[in-house]
Amino acid sequence: MRIGQVIGKVTMSVQECAFRGARWLVVNPLEAEQLNTACEVEPGLTKQPSLVVYDNLGAGQHDIVGFVEGAEATAPFEGPTPVDAITVAIFDRIDHQPYPPEDDDE
Amino acid sequence: MLLCRVVGNAVATQSHPSLDGFTMLLCQHEDEKGSALSEPPFVAIDLFGAGLHQRVFVSTDGIGARGIVRDEHSPVRCFVQGVIDDQQP
Repeated sequence: MRIGQVIGKVTMSVQECAFRGARWLVVNPLEAEQLNTACEVEPGLTKQPSLVVYDNLGAGQHDIVGFVEGAEATAPFEGPTPVDAITVAIFDRIDHQPYPPEDDDE
Repeated sequence: MLLCRVVGNAVATQSHPSLDGFTMLLCQHEDEKGSALSEPPFVAIDLFGAGLHQRVFVSTDGIGARGIVRDEHSPVRCFVQGVIDDQQP
């Protein structure tokens, strides 16, 4: 599961019938140094390519979400569904302590 | 399977129901010498209680992960498969 920020949504008037009622979000993956503050302060855009993600958790703009890409994204659906990325969690807090630790203990 | 180091955790009140009760760890992919690769950390579920900065190996097998959470419709893929012993100098 990768971590990203919701930066927009996608609406479609014509789409595959399996997606009726679906919500689609534009998600920008976060960099490592943004993880600690991402849930409190809105992180800026990263250079990583944004992607469109299926959402059934109800994530909103600027939420920090975990998303899964690949075959596992289709697992929650009953039938075969052409989906490639899905939100799995909306994060409230992320604690990132890189290794090796930086010597900033006072 | 990926060689990783635990670099933190993540808390989500709203998640796929299959993840309820599982700890979500931030895992940093490392090379065989133990230095971090440039990619950002990702989230894996944990059953063993791996501690901060411990080395773990993480499976990216979705079928295995669905077996672990006992939900055929779970989208989870990464899970901590084992905690690596501290190597001798």
